Parts: sequence; structure tokens; C-alpha cells
Amino acid sequence: MDTPYTKRAADVLIWLLLLTMPYWIDAVGGYTQLGSRVLIMALAAMSLNFLLGYTGVLSFGHAAYFGLGVYGMGLTIKYLVPSTLAGMAVGVLAGAAAAAIIGLLIVHLRGIYFAMVTIAFGQVFYFIAYRWNNVTGGDDGLSGWSRQPIDFGFATVDILHNQRAFYYLVLLCFLISVAIMAALLRSPFGRTLLAIRENERRARFLGIPVDRHIWISWLISCIFVSLAGTLYALLNNFADPHDLRWDQSGDFVIMAVLGGMRSFWGPLIGAAIFVVLQDYVSSETQNWMSFIGLFFVLVVLFFPRGVLGIVRRKAAS
Amino acid sequence: MSLLRVENVSKQFGSLIAVNNVSMTVESGELRAIIGPNGAGKTTFFNLISGFLRQTSGRIIFDGEDIGDLLPARRVWRGIARTFQVTEVFPELSVRENLRIPVEVASGMRLRPWLSRSADRTVRARVDELLDMAALAGKAERLVGELAHGDQRATEIMMALALKPRLLLLDEPTAGMGDQETYDITQLILRLHKNAKLTIVLIEHDMRVVFHLADRVTVLDQGHLLAEGAPKEIAANEAVQSAYLGQAA
Amino acid sequence: MTQLILYNVFNGLIIGAFYALMALGLSLILNLSGVINFAHGGFLAVGAYLAFVLVPYIGFWGALVISPILTALFGLVIERILIRRLYGRDPLYGLLLTFGLAFMLEDGTRFIWGPQTLPFSVPDWLSSQLSSEFFFLTGYRLFMVLLVTAVVIGLFLLLGYTRIGVRIRAGTLDLETVSVLGVNVRMLRSLNFGLGIYLAGLAGVLAAGMLGLQPNIGTDLIMPSFVAIIIGGLGSLPGTLLGGLLIGVASGVTTVFFPSASEAVIYIMMGLVLLVRPRGLLGEEGRF
Repeated sequence: MDTPYTKRAADVLIWLLLLTMPYWIDAVGGYTQLGSRVLIMALAAMSLNFLLGYTGVLSFGHAAYFGLGVYGMGLTIKYLVPSTLAGMAVGVLAGAAAAAIIGLLIVHLRGIYFAMVTIAFGQVFYFIAYRWNNVTGGDDGLSGWSRQPIDFGFATVDILHNQRAFYYLVLLCFLISVAIMAALLRSPFGRTLLAIRENERRARFLGIPVDRHIWISWLISCIFVSLAGTLYALLNNFADPHDLRWDQSGDFVIMAVLGGMRSFWGPLIGAAIFVVLQDYVSSETQNWMSFIGLFFVLVVLFFPRGVLGIVRRKAAS
Repeated sequence: MSLLRVENVSKQFGSLIAVNNVSMTVESGELRAIIGPNGAGKTTFFNLISGFLRQTSGRIIFDGEDIGDLLPARRVWRGIARTFQVTEVFPELSVRENLRIPVEVASGMRLRPWLSRSADRTVRARVDELLDMAALAGKAERLVGELAHGDQRATEIMMALALKPRLLLLDEPTAGMGDQETYDITQLILRLHKNAKLTIVLIEHDMRVVFHLADRVTVLDQGHLLAEGAPKEIAANEAVQSAYLGQAA
Repeated sequence: MTQLILYNVFNGLIIGAFYALMALGLSLILNLSGVINFAHGGFLAVGAYLAFVLVPYIGFWGALVISPILTALFGLVIERILIRRLYGRDPLYGLLLTFGLAFMLEDGTRFIWGPQTLPFSVPDWLSSQLSSEFFFLTGYRLFMVLLVTAVVIGLFLLLGYTRIGVRIRAGTLDLETVSVLGVNVRMLRSLNFGLGIYLAGLAGVLAAGMLGLQPNIGTDLIMPSFVAIIIGGLGSLPGTLLGGLLIGVASGVTTVFFPSASEAVIYIMMGLVLLVRPRGLLGEEGRF
């Protein structure tokens, strides 16, 4: 099924849908900001999947780097310089630095151990955001700041009031990130990651320095997730410690799994479904937590290969 | 100078001595077979040479260099490639992709984030070459995990070959194979030995393969070096016979 | 000053005992079945709320005995329906499923009993002070330490000397061999899970007495349990026990000097252990 032509057609279709989203989203009962949210979550989930689906490494603590992006943006605009781009830079740098250091500590661990440690480190950052009241606003979050217009020299774009403009900013970031990740996965380096996923021992015995490559994959994954975090902060004009909690990490994983870990666009589909579902459920009932929890259980039991996994199997038979 | 010199190597696991003071010298271009009853320590011996395990004592000298402390990936870079008793390949990737990875790694591309057209063409050409050598061209796009055992093994051997090794270690290449597959693999190994002038050491249980391929045979028994010599000598060696018969009884 | 430090060390030991109790249950399940039970905190909450329901009928002591058993039975049901499907699969799925389960348990308890803190009555004579010099030595705290000590000793005796205990330990090392030797691995896993949940339920009852009853009573305790296991070493129950006590004492002592950092110190310890001895203090080499 996955001939080059079908793949190319799917890519084109997806980009078309994304490019024109603000124009058709209202017709299907949504709103532009929801679309932005889907894209941001999709970026986060796809970044996670770079590590999870393509390198075979399970991180359940990615919200930490997402959160660093969120707070990096918020703190920069509020206290340093009211510039969206500066906020992005700070957020991504913070996420990258933390990931680089923590990566060194954990990259030789495997499987369950690795997962547990990522959870624990995720908790560290949540704890910092939650406790450091003076700086982060603690449990109340960081407010009193908002999206700053972007000055291109020849034109200034108001992304605060113009939801469409904001969406296209998000889309631009998404496009660049996704293009880079796709290129990397198609490169010799990307193939070494596949090798590590498929058979670590064999990869080692082909001369691939496994730990080093996992560290690089980890770093790339965290960089793009923190970029998603900066965009998320902009979306809400708010930084919330909840963005760093283990349930946020779990959300990223379920999006990747739901859409299909083994395919490139899987996490985008997973994010779309999950965000829309979450939006709907939380507006309909107090017990949204039970529904989301049940959702996780059902996905694990009945959809472990994800939506695209099912599509692929149907096409192959 | 010999290509591989294993000097008085031992490996101990607690109180169990798996490899006991074994020495072996392999010349460049040789095809050596290691045989011995089950539990003789043959795979452990391979694990020591390839770096999967670290020896308790003794030295391993490859092309004049003491490699005893090097990690497996580094020994690969020095030119030692191996296959495993249970075939280790990348099951959800195609044969072509399986071969492409070691070709790229051997060409120093493992960190390359991008490949130029011409480099891509060179890599593809090399992969096609390897596919033809093993008669796998027709199955190139199939997932390795779905292939027959013999083809999986052939893929694994070609992956090792793709690394352009100077020493190829094959751990029971014909294990679990029927007559036809055994014949095919044996022919493949012979071709590699002749065309690529590769130094090969293989562990084998199938004596037909040993006699067909080996220049010299090393016999291990319960971790000791029992005998070494030309295949005919070994076949006639009484100590070797009783070691095998002792096992059977 | 010494009194202050002593108070905090003792306090830390109590907290550490809690962490250890919960971490031991988590560790048991992890070691034998390879499942990270994210929902462990949820089961703790169930134990606490069940005790709350039972106290008016059978009193505190009755609840202390019965509630963990009921929680364990509930755990067995969950194991049968859900957890069983995770065995042998990628740990990813175990994490996701127990994660979802944790959500459902927390929301479920909130739905049934409401989000507010409920009062949990502990027998009066337990809450009394035992000594005016060591004012921190209340009966309840002492009781908790004694109870946890007894339970832990009981657990290690069970694992060391009973048939099922030996089987659990053997299964942790090599499940395949154990099954080939004729042991019913399915039942072993179930019972092991039940045992782990029993410990969670017991921790729940004790926590209710000390911390008060809210739906998220368990979620705060699960993270330190993870850290206890990491510090003590995966695969080692004594390690988990040690890890729990260490982080409890560490955070207790830190409270004296840097009150706001007392939570952070357990993660700092974890970072140090990972740096210096990645397999944990008592962990086995090459286990992961």
C-alpha cells in the first residue's frame, strides 16, 4: 500500500488540509484556536514519536521539556523582553540544555528503568514550576503577559487578536520542525535510529555507538517538544504548572500510540482525535477524567497499533 | 604476522569456568572452524573475541593490536564482524534496508543527516552488489522478519560483510537448516572466502560443512582447547572422538 | 536543636516507612510481572476510602484488618480483567493502561465521596502523646512505625520461607524456568499482584489516619515510591525498603534547614545515585 505515490498523495492532502484549516474548521463545528491547539499537540506528539516510534525509546516524562518551553516563553515576555521570537529562543534553549544534561545521566538505561527515570525527572520540573512561587507564579500559573506582535521589519503581524495569523505562525513552526524531522529520519543517521529500534544488539555489532545515537535522538526530540511548549504558552497566554505534569506526558504518548507509532503522520491524527475528544468531553461532563482514563485503557486493549496501524493492515490484506 | 592471536584467554562466571586458558592463532585468509560438543564454550569464545564479554584473563590481539579492552562497536571499526547463533537482523525492515545500514556505517556515514545524490547512488550500488552475491535480489523489498530462516541467515551474513571486515565470525551459520539451505549457505561462505579473500572463523556442528570449508579445525571441550589441525587429522583424533562420544553417552 | 533534628529524623522515618510500604508493593508487581503500576496510588485511595466506610461498623481496628484485604480482592479483579493483558508486552502499554486506570480510580473516588477532605477518626488513645519530652512521639506515629515494621518483616518472612514466597522470588529471576517446573504462573502473578495491592491498601488506611482523606491521597505518594525503587535498585526488595527509608529521612532532615527543598532533595538523591551508581544501591548488575 505504501507506494511512493500513495505516500506522496497523503502528504499533499495533509498539507492542503492544514494550510486551509481556518477556512473549513468552522464548518465542521470547530474554531481556529482548536486547530492551533491540535497542531501544537501534534508537534509535541510527533517530536516524542521521533524518540518512541522511530528509535524505540520510551519517555514518559516529555512534559518536562514541553513545560520548559512554556515557562521559557512566559517568563521571557513577562520579565525579559516582550518579544515572541525571543521567548521561543529562550524556551527552546532551556529545553535543549535540560535535555542534554539529563540525557547524559540516563541514556545508558533501558526499558522500564529508563521510563521510570524519565517520569521522575519530569516530576522534578513540575515540582519546580509548582513551588517556585515568586518566579513561576506557583499553582496559579504565570499570567499577566500575552502574545507579542511579530515585527518583520516591513510588516508587523498581530498574533494576539488575529487567531488566523497565530494559526499560520504555528503552522510555519510546525512545517519547519516536521520537515527537519522527516529529513533526519530519511538520512543515514535516521536509519541508525531504526536499527537501534529494531535490534539494539545487532546495531551495536554493526559498529553503531548506540548510547550516543540515543542521546542525539533524545535531544532532537526534546528540542522540538520545547518548541511546541513555547507555542502552547502563546496559545493560552498563560503558563500552567499542569503542563508539566505526568498526565501531560501521558497525553503525548497516547496521541502517538493512538495515531500509530510506526508512521510519520500517525501522531498528528492521534493528536487531532485526542484534542477534539478532550475538548468535547470536558465541556460535557464533570467526570472527564474517567472518560480520558477509560480511553487510555481502550486504546491499549484494542488499538495498540493505532489508527494508521489498522489502515495499513486492512490495505495489506 | 597473524591476523588474530588469542593468548591464554579464560572466562569465569563466578565458579563456572566457561573458557579455560585457550590459545588460538588465525592467519590472514584462513578459514577456520571451531567445533566441540555442547557446552564446550564455543559461543562464549566468540563473545570474547567480538567484545560482547570481557575476558577474565589473557589477551586478544587483532592485527598486532591488543583489543581486549575495546567495546563491541569499536572492535567492529577495527574490522571484526560477526553473526549470532540466533539470527540478529532488523525484522521490520526490508532486506534492502537491512543491508543499507551497515553499508552506510562502514562508509563513515552513521551521523550524516543528509545524503547527496551521488553518495546515495554509491550506497545503492553497493547494496545491489551484496544482494546479488547472496542471490537475494528478488527478495530485496520483503521484510526480513517474514523470510525463510535460510534467507534471514544469508541477510545477516551479508550485513556482516557490508562492514568490510577483515575477520568474519560466523556462529553456527547452518543451525536449524535443512539440507538445501545448508548447501546454499555453505556455497555462499565459500564464495565470500574466495572472492573477498576474507578471513573467516566459524562455529559449526555440521561436520559436512566443516569438511567442505575449513582449512584448519580447532576443537574445544568443556572450555579447554582439545586439539587443532587439518580436518582429516581432527577426524582421526581419538581424544576428539571420545569427547563427542562421551557426550552422546 | 538536637530535638528538632531528632524530631525531623523520626518524622522522616515515618514518611520513609510510608514510601517504603507503597514502594514495596510497586516493586513486587514490577519485579515479577514487569508492569509499572501507575495506578498504585489509586489503590491506596481505595484502601483509604473503604476504611472510611467500614469504621462506623467495625471500628478502626476492624477497618485496618479488613480494608486492605478488600482492596487486594479488588486488585485481583482488576488483574484478571486488565493487568493480565499486559504481560510480555512492551512496557509502554503497561504504563498507558495503568495510567488510565489511575485516572479512573481517582475520578471514581471523587465521584462517590466528593472532592472535599473527609474526616477519618483514629482511636483516641492512639493519638495521645506518649511523652512530654519527646513531644513528637504520638501514639499514632509510633503505632505506624511498629505496624509497618511488622508488615515488612512479615513480607520478607513470607518471601523467604513460604512456598509461594519462594516461587515469587524464583519467578522474578526466571519466570520461564519456574513455569517449566510446573508452577501455575498465572496464579502466581495474580497472587503477587494481590499482595502488592494489599500493601497499597494498608498504606491507604494508615495514610487516612495521618493525612486526611481526599481523592488524590495516593497521587502524591506514587512519585516518591518510584524514586525509592530507583535509588534502592530495580529488582531488589531490600533496596526498595532502604530507598524508601533513605528518602524519608533525607526529606525529614532537609526540612530543618531548607523547608521548601525537602521535596526536591529526593530527586537530587535520585540524580546522584544515577550518576554514581546507576543500578541503584542494592540493584543487580546488568538487570536493565
